[in-house]
Amino acid sequence: MGADIITARPSALHASDLAGQLQSLATELGVSRWDLGAACSTDTSVQVDRGEAKQLKGAQRSSITVRAWNSDGLVGITSTSDLSPAGLARALAGASDASTYGNPDDSPGFSPLATAPLAQLEQPISEPRGILELLDTLKQAEAELLGRHPAISTVPYNGLAQRSSQRIYLNSEGACREQQLSTASLYLYARAEEDGRKPRSSGAVRLAYGAEQLDVAGCIEEAAERTIQHLDYAPIATGRYTCVFSPEAFLDLIGAFSGLFNARAVLDGVSLSQRDSLGSQLAVPFLSIHDNGLHPGNIGATSFDGEGTPVARLPLLEGGILRNFLHSEATARAFGVAPTGHAGLGAKVSVGPHWFEIGPAGSTGEQAGAANLDRFSQDGIVWIDSLSALHAGVKASQGSFSLPFDGWLIQGGEARSIEAATVAGDIRAVLKGLVGFEGQAKITPDGICPLVWVDELSITGDA
Amino acid sequence: MRVCVASLAALTEPVLLATPTTSLTGDSLDQRWRDRLETVLAAGAAAGASLVEVFLESTDHIGLLAEQERITNVSPAFGRGAGLRVFLGDKDGFVSTNDLSEAGLLQALDQALGMLGLTRANLGAHGFDGLAALRDHGASKENWLRQCPGLDESTARLLEATALLDRHGDHLQARRGSYARDWQEVLVAASDGTFARDIRLHQSVGINALAADGDHRASLGRRYGSSGRPDDLRQWDAEASAVDLCSSARSMLYADYVEAGNYPVVLANRFGGVIFHEACGHLLETTQVERGTTPFADKVGDTIAHEAVTAVDEGLSDGAFGSLSMDDEGMEPQRTVLIENGVLQRFISDRAGELRTGHARTGSGRRQSHNFAAASRMRNTFIAAGPHTPEQLIGSVDRGLYCKSMGGGSVGPTGQFNFAVEEGYLIEDGQLTKPVKGATLIGEAKEVMPRISMCANDLELAAGFCGSVSGSIFVTVGQPHIKVDTITVGGR
Repeated sequence: MGADIITARPSALHASDLAGQLQSLATELGVSRWDLGAACSTDTSVQVDRGEAKQLKGAQRSSITVRAWNSDGLVGITSTSDLSPAGLARALAGASDASTYGNPDDSPGFSPLATAPLAQLEQPISEPRGILELLDTLKQAEAELLGRHPAISTVPYNGLAQRSSQRIYLNSEGACREQQLSTASLYLYARAEEDGRKPRSSGAVRLAYGAEQLDVAGCIEEAAERTIQHLDYAPIATGRYTCVFSPEAFLDLIGAFSGLFNARAVLDGVSLSQRDSLGSQLAVPFLSIHDNGLHPGNIGATSFDGEGTPVARLPLLEGGILRNFLHSEATARAFGVAPTGHAGLGAKVSVGPHWFEIGPAGSTGEQAGAANLDRFSQDGIVWIDSLSALHAGVKASQGSFSLPFDGWLIQGGEARSIEAATVAGDIRAVLKGLVGFEGQAKITPDGICPLVWVDELSITGDA
Repeated sequence: MRVCVASLAALTEPVLLATPTTSLTGDSLDQRWRDRLETVLAAGAAAGASLVEVFLESTDHIGLLAEQERITNVSPAFGRGAGLRVFLGDKDGFVSTNDLSEAGLLQALDQALGMLGLTRANLGAHGFDGLAALRDHGASKENWLRQCPGLDESTARLLEATALLDRHGDHLQARRGSYARDWQEVLVAASDGTFARDIRLHQSVGINALAADGDHRASLGRRYGSSGRPDDLRQWDAEASAVDLCSSARSMLYADYVEAGNYPVVLANRFGGVIFHEACGHLLETTQVERGTTPFADKVGDTIAHEAVTAVDEGLSDGAFGSLSMDDEGMEPQRTVLIENGVLQRFISDRAGELRTGHARTGSGRRQSHNFAAASRMRNTFIAAGPHTPEQLIGSVDRGLYCKSMGGGSVGPTGQFNFAVEEGYLIEDGQLTKPVKGATLIGEAKEVMPRISMCANDLELAAGFCGSVSGSIFVTVGQPHIKVDTITVGGR
């Protein structure tokens, strides 16, 4: 093989130059109010198949989104990957033209916090590694995983990727935000099969600020352990069970129903919450949920949102009581509060969570959940390891879900993998049916959460 | 890790819109690129690559959203990019870039070569004889963008749709209409001489409603999509769509949750075809053969489904969402019979699939954009019509589930599939009775295919989006009404 290829960091966007260009173009077009979000990245990734390179991939991407306000205060938007002067001009002209169709009832403005101080994130920038080095690392990881158990025959889904990226927010009133970031990810999903038995699959993911910091050994260990644990499986009888959600599974479930906390969804009438839901008891009194994009465990955290608003920790549920909604500038204005740093950038601005902190509220006595829970101490517990097909099985505006899962049924202190099953319920009932938490909170890519016990969920199985 | 079809919906009359403000003003991707592409391809071949392929793309997109009586979002986007793929034997490296200058393409080539241990410093003799004459599938499509309705017309159509939902619906708390128009110009050049161009136009329109009455809630949607029909938004029967959706919302608002268990199931035509797409179609892509994740890898010539089942994947149906004049590797599509009377006939294959598995290409190399390498992907995939009427299928069931409308679904690496039932009804004594909600159908491909025992005579296609290794692409699913003798229904 020849010399290793190290993909350079992205050609840096120069915020001040970009601002100058936009201002000149805006003046030419008679646009007095504009803002812009820009991003560029360089990605390198590898996949392997039984000791051989399967695909090696690199990408250089760039994009901008420009908004322009017209004299009636209506906003238009255009996005492009063409960052040339001609591309910028066309994007700004397109945004100006689209402002004709802006919504007079709900027009976004500049965030009043677009120039407020930002939190300082400790995000080391890592130099990218050569792609052949990534390939060697992944080949070794695959070989180790294949060697963990004779039934593990392939690792059909695997990848090692690294990214260097930059994002910018600018507006015509002088806001100028910029962030650079490097990240790396590793995923290993193994497939195992024993004679006369159905194939089983499971895996693990790791994130870090650079490829050299990835916990490769931990990823192999977790993927092997989870795959092997599913080899001995049995069907489960349909019925109602006490379920113990893994941190990953419960975070997925809360994420799928984050419309509960989303001011945009509330204003659009598609949330289970309403404007007057603030202060109401949504969950058991021992549950708290915060959104905290700044948590050190959130690899790839951003310090500002799409409108330039600083990201900050926000209480959503405290003691089971709904305390705040996630906001953009426009929704915050509609509610008479400050933006919370959860906005995208658009003509209709989307709102979404960053990273959840889920855990006990510190309640005591009768307000506290069950203590010293141990899933292995009771029979008939369903331990849900991971949920699938959330895009299809969640009805966010109805509150209902019916989802396939991988997990175990616990009998006599032993966990046996469940062959194939779905779990169904209503998120409102889940939040009020929590029994308690087990163990220490675990940091995952989507948040931090302990094991969560929920009473009386419907399980459909094949037995 | 799963591949999935999401937001699939019925294809009928297409939709569309146009935006004069975002029409392309730059150079077309055409014959004028020959010299630059030949330079890149020759350099790659001289460096020792078995094959070099360049995929150039120019896009122009509009997305519109109407809510209640307002247009709430107009989102134009445009862009250009290139994807370069270099093969050395059956190994490949892929690089994408937004820099289409000769220097930019050569830099991307260098990176792709380097992934395979090759370098342009080792220039030597090569077998690249230049590009063939351009096969220009786009020549007759140059006016498509201009023929689409403008923003005034298209926004008016969406507002008409949300007004129709208000007129025909009950207890509607939220009404939405959405429209997307995706125009794409592509140029494919490869060191085997392939040189082909196409223009694609995909349009989709969707309507959604959330009905609420006290604690009862029902959210439903419909989406219609087409390819290559600039006039489709004008032709769309918004009233029929609104009436259909409101009727379903009315049924489902007070529906009980389905009781979990194993039932015979009758799946309606059109989007019911997602069951075949998920349960079997993905497993007949050569990407799955390469990964060793399909149970059908060595089953060509074997019976893998009930003899009632014949299944086809093709890219030829006029106006269908998954149709194309050429795939993203420059090959004209084919009509590929996958299963005939229950017997596996062929796999869906692309260039890499042919190299690595030996299954001949079928014009199925597809990708979302220049950021993805092409992979073997479905186009218009359906179960062929059978001899029965839908009433005969329903009449043959004593107690079961009728799935009138499906949500999305997915299939995992071991062949387990699942998909959500958006609108379902109980079948009791051969008759449709009360509506039920919350059902999820789950199973395994090998087990469910032999259980499709009856096919009706009412084949129809439905448009949707399929997400997998090469991104999200336009597809259709389809089938007549079919009966599955038993399947696990997840519920309450």
